[in-house]
Amino acid sequence: MWDVFVEGVGLALRWDTFAMMSVGLMLGMFVGALPGFTTLMAMAILLPLSFFVEPMIGIPFLLGVYKGGIYGGSIPAILVSMPGTGAAVATTFDGPALTRKKKARKALEIALFSSVFGDLSSDIVTILFIGPIALVALMMGPPELAAVLILALIVIASTSTGVFVKGLLMLIVGLFFSLVGQDPIGALSRFTFDTFAIRAGIPLLPMLIGVYALPEILIAIENKATETIRQNISSKEGGKLTWDEFRSCFRTICRSTAIGTGIGMMPGVGQVAAAFMGYAAAKNASKTPEKFGQGELEGVAAAEAANNAVNGPTMVPLLTLGVPGDNITAVLIGAFIAQGLRPGPQLMEEQGALVYAILVAMVCANLLFLVIGYFTIPLFARVVMIRKSILLPLTVVFAFAGCYVPRSDPFDLLVLVFFGAFGYCAKKLSFDLTPMVMAFILGPVIEYSIGQTLVLSQGAMLHYIFIERPITAAIVLLTPVLAYLMWRRVTRIRRQTGSR
Amino acid sequence: MTARINFNSVAAVLFIAFAVILFLIIPHQIDKPMIVLSQDENNLKASLFPQLVAGCLLVLGIWFLFKSPTLREENQFRKLDRSALINVLVTLVAMLIYGPAMMELGFVVSSAIMIAFLSTFYGNRNHALTAVVSVCVPIAMYFCFTKLLSTSLPPFPIDTILTNYSIL
Repeated sequence: MWDVFVEGVGLALRWDTFAMMSVGLMLGMFVGALPGFTTLMAMAILLPLSFFVEPMIGIPFLLGVYKGGIYGGSIPAILVSMPGTGAAVATTFDGPALTRKKKARKALEIALFSSVFGDLSSDIVTILFIGPIALVALMMGPPELAAVLILALIVIASTSTGVFVKGLLMLIVGLFFSLVGQDPIGALSRFTFDTFAIRAGIPLLPMLIGVYALPEILIAIENKATETIRQNISSKEGGKLTWDEFRSCFRTICRSTAIGTGIGMMPGVGQVAAAFMGYAAAKNASKTPEKFGQGELEGVAAAEAANNAVNGPTMVPLLTLGVPGDNITAVLIGAFIAQGLRPGPQLMEEQGALVYAILVAMVCANLLFLVIGYFTIPLFARVVMIRKSILLPLTVVFAFAGCYVPRSDPFDLLVLVFFGAFGYCAKKLSFDLTPMVMAFILGPVIEYSIGQTLVLSQGAMLHYIFIERPITAAIVLLTPVLAYLMWRRVTRIRRQTGSR
Repeated sequence: MTARINFNSVAAVLFIAFAVILFLIIPHQIDKPMIVLSQDENNLKASLFPQLVAGCLLVLGIWFLFKSPTLREENQFRKLDRSALINVLVTLVAMLIYGPAMMELGFVVSSAIMIAFLSTFYGNRNHALTAVVSVCVPIAMYFCFTKLLSTSLPPFPIDTILTNYSIL
């Protein structure tokens, strides 16, 4: 394992990887700094760019967008009380108050340092944990894999926003979409309605861009996007953050990092809940809780460290089991698949060095992020004022171009618009899209694993699972219990934090 | 709290109807294998999973139908005023037209029209800025995708006629 790790370090230390990560970080910060533009949308739209370069350039590029986007959301949250992304909502509690006190620069710097610390620590934890988890994953056969994937889907549905049964229904709809094309065992045509373009299945990329980017655009234009931020904002107000101020926040940053890392290991909970929990924990632990909400540096540090600490651990189930824990990792799995890499136990065995290289690149991205973020804060603070009436049409054009280029098939544009409209309606009717996308991605693997299990069982499925495969039996029996416990826990967290 | 029929109930009925339609089309929409290789022995049929999916959809749809009257979720469409609906519909129609237009007019021309139209529709009245952005950005994107990433986007129509004197 150590040799593989060292080989991975060698693969990661390339100038072109660093260059593209820097571009990704800048793009992520740019999009994150735009109120109404989400990191997820940026990743979905920029996903096709990663297809045409090597995995060690394309995937770190997307990781850069991810990390930059989560931090970028804090810039408008601090300057104009408009969170650039959902993850930055908790930052609005103290950020704008600090700006009013002429401490905008301090707030932006503590947000940057907390984000980098939280992200870096969680990435190191991820590197430490991923090896042992991958070793366990490698011992799994088709029955165990099918059971784990079904467990993951049910847990994702149970932790999705809104009503449980609606999450389950979206999961089944996602499974249906995954059936279109060919069955994974006999390659027989299914639900193609004699349309040649979908004989190989519904293309993943137009679906991802359609579901994650277009609904955000449509929601943003509900109220015509003419308004710009008219407030007089300056990121340079006040002095820089002092060492004493950073040290006074350090305990809070460590606490929030631990909370964020824990939340990141739970599928479907995400940055928003982590930021709220980090903020609440900091307030509870403070000797002066009454200062929170009035412009407290610790408040910004708590929220930002927690939401960034989620980033690393979400990669563990993705890389070891092939299970994307949230929307962002669902987009990342699209990048892996397009590169011919299927995340899961086999990836760790066959491309272990590449996996470690990606994780090392994540660590390096944080160091780049610190440097780039520190020097570009004033630049991205100005992004807040860019007109959405110009940016939204550009986003539409970029989404269409990105969707078209991988296959050069006009049919993909129709798929894009269909899933855009579908995603918009689902959002408006409170149906969570996450279970649908996860089921679409995992459906063929589940079907193939169940098919293999049926062959192995030689017609005696129950006997095979419950007598010959005790681990599968345990997972099957534990699935409803775990789903219930996760649902209860996530519901409680959401109720406490007020996040959806 | 009184139970009442709401948008969730309508959605539940649609899910049930979808499940029934799935059951009906499964025999017609799944190819039969040319040679049956002792499939019965392993119960491995291409229709097995679709039937499971349709069954789950039906059961969950019925559960959702019974649960829906007790749900107190808000239909977000009702919050939209007339102008918001028009904005969304116009954007969706523009997207639907943009795809075929890209094939006919080429990426740069269709994108320039799309950007200029949407930007003006969204309220941008700085026409000089609109003109510059709608011309420069598609050209830059076309160059990046076709030259730097070596991919293909629908070319300028004139490029297909005058291949030796291509614009980009």
